[in-house]
Amino acid sequence: MIALLLLIPVAIGLAAVFLSLFVAAARDGQFDDLDDPPHRILHDD
Amino acid sequence: MRPANADVTARCPHCATTVAGAEDAYCCSGCEAAAALIRGAGLERYYDIRESPAPRPSNRAEPWSAVEVEEGPDGLCETTLMVDGLRCASCVWLTESVLRRVPGVEEATVSYGTGRARLRWAAAETDLTTLAGLIQKLGYRPRLGAGAAPVDRDLWVRLGIASFAAANVMLLSAALYAGWIDPMEERFARLFQWWTLVLATPVALWSATPFFAGAWRGLRAGVLHMDVPIALGIGVLYAHGVIGVVVGFDTYLDSMTMLVALLLGGRVLESAGRRRSLEAALALAAVVPTTACRRRGDTVEWVPSEELVRGDVVDIGAGREIPADGVVEGGEGRVRTALLTGESKPVRVSAGDDVWAGTVLVDGALTVRVSAAAGATLVHSMAESVAEAAGRTEVRDTADRLAPWFTGATLAAAGLTWVGWWSTGNTGGGLQATIAVLVVACPCALALARPLVGAAGLGAAARRGALFRSVDVLLRAGKVDRVVLDKTGTVTEGEVRVTEATDELLRVAAGLERFSAHPRAEAIVREAVRRGIPIPVGSSVEERAGVGISGRVEGALWSVRSGGDDAVEVFGPGGPLGLVRFGDRMRDDAAETTRRLVDAGVAVSILSGDVEGPTREVAERVGASSMWASQRPDAKAARIRAWQEAGDTVLFAGDGLNDGPALAAADVAVAMGSGAASSVLAADGVVLTDRLAPVEGAMRVGRVCARVVRSSRVTSIVYNAVAVGAAAFGLVNPLVAAVLMPVSSALVLAQAARVEALVAKEDV
Repeated sequence: MIALLLLIPVAIGLAAVFLSLFVAAARDGQFDDLDDPPHRILHDD
Repeated sequence: MRPANADVTARCPHCATTVAGAEDAYCCSGCEAAAALIRGAGLERYYDIRESPAPRPSNRAEPWSAVEVEEGPDGLCETTLMVDGLRCASCVWLTESVLRRVPGVEEATVSYGTGRARLRWAAAETDLTTLAGLIQKLGYRPRLGAGAAPVDRDLWVRLGIASFAAANVMLLSAALYAGWIDPMEERFARLFQWWTLVLATPVALWSATPFFAGAWRGLRAGVLHMDVPIALGIGVLYAHGVIGVVVGFDTYLDSMTMLVALLLGGRVLESAGRRRSLEAALALAAVVPTTACRRRGDTVEWVPSEELVRGDVVDIGAGREIPADGVVEGGEGRVRTALLTGESKPVRVSAGDDVWAGTVLVDGALTVRVSAAAGATLVHSMAESVAEAAGRTEVRDTADRLAPWFTGATLAAAGLTWVGWWSTGNTGGGLQATIAVLVVACPCALALARPLVGAAGLGAAARRGALFRSVDVLLRAGKVDRVVLDKTGTVTEGEVRVTEATDELLRVAAGLERFSAHPRAEAIVREAVRRGIPIPVGSSVEERAGVGISGRVEGALWSVRSGGDDAVEVFGPGGPLGLVRFGDRMRDDAAETTRRLVDAGVAVSILSGDVEGPTREVAERVGASSMWASQRPDAKAARIRAWQEAGDTVLFAGDGLNDGPALAAADVAVAMGSGAASSVLAADGVVLTDRLAPVEGAMRVGRVCARVVRSSRVTSIVYNAVAVGAAAFGLVNPLVAAVLMPVSSALVLAQAARVEALVAKEDV
């Protein structure tokens, strides 16, 4: 059980990395426009 | 309808207009230039992927050089243009691709949804004239546009953090709950608890701040709206959690983080719809033309319309919008004032008459002395008052009729529980039960019902062609028992159309008019294309403003001259041959829509600024129950208020700024957005197609939503009542709360998912 002392912070830290990616994406404006990209995906060259 | 000699025909490869002659003939120089541009950029693929033919490029040039764009410190210029005429996703792709191939362009992003083009370019390498010119050459119409509505990016971050915390706290709590059955060492239980507190803290202190702010605003305004019990619940749960972790008893932190995450999800759904309608309101600024031709002594110069000041003298040519309010000094012509007065026929103006910004000079030429420009124009003040009315509805949105009762009942239940337990002497158990009451009473399902049903309803209305500002408006639309329609542009199409002409007259007239930007010329060409008449190529065409157009078609000399207010006369080599008449046509589905409304027990009335005759004719043809003609804007609003005082819930559908007061007065205001971006109004809703049916469809969606909201409210109130009862008697512990809350929210979600199916059942 003593391993939990290490494993919980590691697990939450790992998840926090993904959270920070999401936060960076949101701050970058990737969620600003959810209507156009579905149209755009068909045409990108 | 095809004439007999139509066997030698081809289609213009660019705009698909029928042309006489061999294969691959472009119908006009504009199309040829556009096609050359597309091929030159290596974008031929456009012709394979497009869903509808390209628009015909107009040869009307906008002098963009007069528009100044400030250069940023990095040498880059940035601006947003409104682009009219984008018909499909391929149009967007084409425009973007062409712009991005221009050297010096850093960014070119065109939004199909809002018709906005965001451009960033190096000032040293290219300029706005080039870029706007390219858009125009492709057949679209760039305007100096309004900016986009700001996005609340923080809301996404709040949601992300709350969801992350909710999932992880739930995981840790599951271990703690498992400890009830198979106890774990005390020090590990404490470890898990401390981690739940670490994760829950940013949720309570940052993610949930919109609810605290909302509750505080409401309390200060003396309103107990839905944010109050939510903020109370979150606050109590977090405080209880902090003490619980420090002292060492079970907490509700898992329920709290999940609650915040679910509620923020609802907020995100709501804000998307609200932003879209705010952008439609911002588009109003674009009705005034970008530039104006100002006289300076003996010379003229092009300046941005915003820079005009009182006393300036401007020249306006046929087919252009008037850039400012003013008085005609010289020249004469006919002005279409439908935007302001609803009058379908152009009004003749000459020296001494007033003209207003945003109205269109149909023919002739005018010199106007400016009396008010930019923010001082009539059209601008109307737009402002409409936008202000739009802002007011939002405040009303958050105040829910049920919220005060709910908050009161929650506090009463918590108080009674505490007093009940205290009177038996068990203060420890009483505190726990009181906390549990506040937890389960938190109106999560109730607060989610509106955004969830609303998102489903707004989507269902959008699929039927109507975009609405908010759930509230949609729910009100379901209660409407009187629909009031403007005539010009709402029941009718509001555009100049050919109503009467023989094929041969059209063919010749179109041959001459194909190069003209005159609205009537465009109507003639459009009708010829619609009838599939091959359009011959006119030569030595000469157009004289206010008189007409003449030239050679197939060797003979023809001319088209003005033939009164609603017709042109075609002259052949042997003299007059007949008239091409113009008028405004009723929308195809106007009568059917009215019939469906009347069948549903809704009264339909027509209010028009137009005179008695045409109004009565249209009213009779659609089968409206009543009509009023020659109504000025304020008279329309007064009539709507009279109906409201008589107890009716009124929906008004109109298309022009002249309807501003009526739109503001109505319970539900719908704008017809079928024209240019500039005609989209800051109403409660916008009809996106050129049909009237979406108005009726939206009302049906509103009725279904009202029904579903009602039933989900019953579900959540029953849940809350049962759960509060159980909690008051000490039967609810953190595990029970953590299970109950998502179950009640899932029930509401399941009901919202049925909205589309329920509406579809009544579709035709």
